Amino acid sequence: MESILQKAIGIKEHLNELYIEVEKDSFKDDCLALHREKGAMLRVMLGADERELDGSFRIYTAFSMPGVDRLLTVVLSLREPDLSFPSLTPYIPAAHWYEREIRDMLGLIPEGHPDPRRLVFHESFPAGSHPLRRDWSASATDLKEWGEGTAIKVPQRFMEVEGEGIYEIPVGPVHAGIIEPGHFRFSAVGETIFFLEPRLFYTHKGTEKHFERIGFIEGVKLAERVSGTSSFSHSAAYCMAVERIMGLEITESAKAARTLLLELERLYNHVGDIGNMCAGTGLAVGYARGATIKENLMQLNERITGSRYLRGVNVIGGTGKDVFRHRDDILSTLDSVTRQYKGMMKLLLGTVSHVERLENTGILSKDIAVKLGVTGVAARASGVNDDLRKAHPHLLYDKLLFESHTMSKGDVLARMMIRAEEAECSLSMINALLESNYKGDLTVGTKEIPAYTAAFGYTETPRGAVFYWMKSDKVGKPLRVKMRSPSYCNWPAVPFAVHGNIVPDFPLCNKSFNLSYSGCDM
Amino acid sequence: MLKEIFRNMFRRKVAIPFPEGFRISPEEATEVMDLQERADAVFGRSLRIRQVDAGSCNACEWECTALTNPVYDIQRFGIDFVASPRHADALLVSGPVSRQMELALRKTYLATPEPRFVIACGDCAIDGGVYKGSYAVTGGVTQVIPVDCVIPGCPPSPTAIIAGLARLLEKLAQR
Repeated sequence: MESILQKAIGIKEHLNELYIEVEKDSFKDDCLALHREKGAMLRVMLGADERELDGSFRIYTAFSMPGVDRLLTVVLSLREPDLSFPSLTPYIPAAHWYEREIRDMLGLIPEGHPDPRRLVFHESFPAGSHPLRRDWSASATDLKEWGEGTAIKVPQRFMEVEGEGIYEIPVGPVHAGIIEPGHFRFSAVGETIFFLEPRLFYTHKGTEKHFERIGFIEGVKLAERVSGTSSFSHSAAYCMAVERIMGLEITESAKAARTLLLELERLYNHVGDIGNMCAGTGLAVGYARGATIKENLMQLNERITGSRYLRGVNVIGGTGKDVFRHRDDILSTLDSVTRQYKGMMKLLLGTVSHVERLENTGILSKDIAVKLGVTGVAARASGVNDDLRKAHPHLLYDKLLFESHTMSKGDVLARMMIRAEEAECSLSMINALLESNYKGDLTVGTKEIPAYTAAFGYTETPRGAVFYWMKSDKVGKPLRVKMRSPSYCNWPAVPFAVHGNIVPDFPLCNKSFNLSYSGCDM
Repeated sequence: MLKEIFRNMFRRKVAIPFPEGFRISPEEATEVMDLQERADAVFGRSLRIRQVDAGSCNACEWECTALTNPVYDIQRFGIDFVASPRHADALLVSGPVSRQMELALRKTYLATPEPRFVIACGDCAIDGGVYKGSYAVTGGVTQVIPVDCVIPGCPPSPTAIIAGLARLLEKLAQR
């Protein structure tokens, strides 16, 4: 650590963020030193076009070390004409998607990256076009041809598996159920999945570029609509980042309201997901139970915030609605939910045919989970003890007593049990939060945004860690907004989990991860 | 489990009422009650819908999923979601239609047998919503395929979707 700091060109500190600017020659070694010697996990990697500031592009690689509440960000500047940087992927596989994304969106080349294919854009997107460059604008014809999707501009091949008896099953992007679009290419031997390659990013909506257009304050609305079932966590992380740029400290009552709603969001997601897994095993009664409890919680959400998805509550500087006014309603609803939930779990765990399907299905090993930087429920079910609420305490999480549960097996059953334990944990946290009174107004006035200032915002969504990183430009407008949803780092792990399982178990494995396509596709 | 089955066999069946805070207007509420008759009249009790996500944030999808839960139980009106556009009478499209989904949406529309109806579900599907103006979205379903009925809301609640379907059926009954 000291040697990295000594060699650094520049060091900047802002709250719990430490930015270390390094030379290109030492970039790879510094990142590897942090990762291997200190056990630091790669949190986010992003590129930004900061040519208007000092003529350079920058690569930010954020790590955090276990047990230390500090985000270590290695910064590398790149100037034209040499826009390549040493790829970290051969040493830190978790960087795999980030580097391909940086190549697609900004045209910076990760040298030595094993996969030369595009990540975000499909075949018909024009070559040499990089939307996150500040001076980029696409012509109408280019976009039209991209949408029609017929002209192949840059051919993209699926991985081909050859051998006797191997055949391919293409699925999607329009699926049989009511789910989001994505294409899956299975290479199967008989019933067994030998290899799965997902092609995602069908729902790519240019969210990060759109954040730049609409400004910091309006961006809350967009953050709420990145991933529907994590609306509140996304907007909470977004608001946190903007507030940190402004140097704004929100009041205790706003913190309490955000913590409460984050836990309510976790609760409805976990209960719904447990029920949804029953749809994967054909246990209709379990599915109906889970869906009913979830519906009760959604209606509670609507009564206390006016939105079933907890939208419109977060504003920069606090929360726009007083949820503690509905204390009695929340307590009585959660009381009946607890009873129903306990009944459901008893039914599920007592149904041998259900548990038997979950056990040993879709195993994700700890080794792969660590290497790919898997987060959230999926990571904890595979024995990786990582929870942002503990690792980087924010809001009121440092004052609440709770356990971060882990299991070692990494199968579908483990993911269900982690959800069950976390749901119970959320219930007790909500009850604890409702016991006290909190000081302060719900919102504090916003401040002006200083020029060229950057900050992280983060929280633990029901699916895992979400990160926002943003930087302001000269006049206090967004220069770059990076959003990293938990689904983005969990999707690459799904093919490893389904390997060796039978094709009919794929929906079950998929449901046990319950990843968002929209959040991943940006 | 067995205990539960026995209990349900002998208990009187009670339809679960719509949730409190029914956020649609009273006129629309009566429309919902007429929904079953209307679906019977127009489609002989079988309006089959294929849901297509064209870049939605997944809130509209979860509300459609909620329609099949025991509270809303849309199947009791003779309406159901089907697995293939080839089995569908109507497409319910959500999302601002991202450019990478445009082709898939067109193909899904062409795969639906005529007469086919298109419902744009949610603010994004109507005009792009918060995503209006982004380079990667076309800005609403009408930009890609003809739309017969819109259901506003972000996301529209399950009751609003039911009311929207009632409006579509009324429109069709008048034809």
